[in-house]
Amino acid sequence: MEKADLSHHILSRFNADLERVRSNVLQMGGLVEEQLAQAVNALVMGDSAAAELVARNDHRVNAMEVSIDEDCNRILATRAPTAGDLRLIVAIIKAITDLERIGDEAEKIGYIGSRLATMERPADRYREIKHLGRLVEEMVHDALDSLARLDADAAVAVAKRDRLVDEEYEALQRQCITFMMEDPRSIRRALDVLWVGRAIERIGDHAKNICEYVIYMVHGKDVRHVKLEDVEEQLRARANRDE
Amino acid sequence: MKLIESRMSETTWQIALRLTLLTSSAVLVGLIVGHIAAALAIVFAGYLFFQLRNLLILDRWVRFRSVLSPPDIGGPWGDVIAVIARIYRRKQFHKQRVVALLREFRRLTDGMPDGALLLGEHNELLWFNYKAERWLHLRRKRDFGIRIENLVRYPAFVQYLEHGDYTQSVTVALSGEQEQWLSFHMVRAEGSSQRLLIIRDMTREMRMEAMRKDFVANASHELRSPLTVISGYLDALADDAALDKMWREPLEEMRRQSERMRTLVEELLQLSRLESVRGPHEEQRVDVPGLLALLRKEVLAHEHHPEIRLHIDSHACLMGSEAELQSVFTNLISNAVKYTPETGTVDIRWWHDEQGAHLSVIDTGIGISQEHLPRLTERFYRVDQGRSRKLGGFGLGLSIVKHALQRHGATLTISSEEGKGSNFTCHFQITRVVHESPRTLEADNLFVMK
Repeated sequence: MEKADLSHHILSRFNADLERVRSNVLQMGGLVEEQLAQAVNALVMGDSAAAELVARNDHRVNAMEVSIDEDCNRILATRAPTAGDLRLIVAIIKAITDLERIGDEAEKIGYIGSRLATMERPADRYREIKHLGRLVEEMVHDALDSLARLDADAAVAVAKRDRLVDEEYEALQRQCITFMMEDPRSIRRALDVLWVGRAIERIGDHAKNICEYVIYMVHGKDVRHVKLEDVEEQLRARANRDE
Repeated sequence: MKLIESRMSETTWQIALRLTLLTSSAVLVGLIVGHIAAALAIVFAGYLFFQLRNLLILDRWVRFRSVLSPPDIGGPWGDVIAVIARIYRRKQFHKQRVVALLREFRRLTDGMPDGALLLGEHNELLWFNYKAERWLHLRRKRDFGIRIENLVRYPAFVQYLEHGDYTQSVTVALSGEQEQWLSFHMVRAEGSSQRLLIIRDMTREMRMEAMRKDFVANASHELRSPLTVISGYLDALADDAALDKMWREPLEEMRRQSERMRTLVEELLQLSRLESVRGPHEEQRVDVPGLLALLRKEVLAHEHHPEIRLHIDSHACLMGSEAELQSVFTNLISNAVKYTPETGTVDIRWWHDEQGAHLSVIDTGIGISQEHLPRLTERFYRVDQGRSRKLGGFGLGLSIVKHALQRHGATLTISSEEGKGSNFTCHFQITRVVHESPRTLEADNLFVMK
């Protein structure tokens, strides 16, 4: 297992800077995770106050993005990092954009959640949304874990789970269409549920992106738009060669 | 030291003796043969070869001492080997003991009901037990050296880790299939850069707490409606002129008791409302001096009361919920009035400094003995059951004060001496204080006009 070694710089200030930026990204991730969990939870529980709170707290995520972005720019400008360090910074700049988007989607879920709370709750109590939300929450969590551990194998495994989320979203779509056909009065609610499902599905895609950055950071390989099986194959071949 | 010297001299003597014997025999043989130099050279070469062989044997054994048994060589080399073998055996023995102890310790900590993590100087993970591994989804060995806040990213926890007060613990709801609450508590050892993080499962406690809150809220809500009906009819009956005189007295008593019950239910509802909502939602400027002046006049309107003195040393206002702050001040002042005889005094003081704003209510009443102070803010806790009931208290007032203050990020300190009086002081943080032009007079006038 290749491990990005952050302790080889003679300039210990540089080390500390890199380490702090990475830590900050993960903390931003923690905040985003909490926002997402609370947004889904508030929607499922029909708690409009909690849902609004999520929507109002999105500015904290945005503020963190801006500050991390500034840190990265400063490091690029003053330290001119190369090789692994450069990959780390590039990956972080990309990852925070995705995290910020996840925050935006959570905000959206919060808004819709506070609106849905005023409507009659369906018989299944948003079971599908809860399930989908749980899947994606775990994806985000594990993607961030792989970033913390710089574990490319785990990142590939997480990225693969995005397919499951897509399938679940398909199922949710079909279910909503059936509801709308059966009872036109439920169209408004079904549309909102569909929007939430869409937001959650997008979060899954962003989590997948973060996994791809982790693979890039560890192996220096750009795996966007490449089939995951091929990525796995390549990584395995690389590991064999290294041995 | 003596022993070492004697051992050393023994070996030295042995070597000296051998060398002397060797040299003299070589000289003897040389004399017989006629070539002293050649004989000396041959003998010493043989001796050197012998020493080098022993050295090689020793080297081989020292390298592979864990699998080879010590070689059997006599003389000083044998002594050296014996000494090394003894040191090695002793080290092995200690190592085994330490390893066994460590294994035992690990087994014990894995059986612990709490999670435990050892953190280094930069919060990096040094060690954790099985419970911590399972609860936080950590991986043994793999995660050692990684900073804990990178893996345990709950914002409340990170906040605690960075700026927290380590005398307190922080409770965090885990995300996951099942509802789980964990409380984290950092323990710092004196003079060590390492820290111990203790994790406890609080799920049961949190569930019980939620159940209790729900129960109190629901029960008091359900009690309120029938009570309204009863007191309504009682009022109607009391106004009825045709009522028999015999019933007047019992009816009055019934009205008094139903009023008492209504107050109790109201206070319970207020308390459960304070508990259930997180953080003050409505933020407005509260004119504390004006409010205090109003409250004082309210007390003065009653028949029997001690002397009340108001000391307004600051015109600072507070940001917060007016209704909640009013109930805090009302409870504190009415408590002081309740427990102070008519000859005593109650001092209300409002001031501010660089830490924040403070409100003191100091009375010269009956006071509270030391053992009751820590439990005073628990609900239904009363110092003297009979006396409080006579005065019409339920033991909820200070609970309400505590919760309302908590929601404003303020603290309450209580000091008291039995028989002399008590001092209740609220401390508000500087961030909540706003300075405004005085409105005290205006408030006074308002009251007079009413």
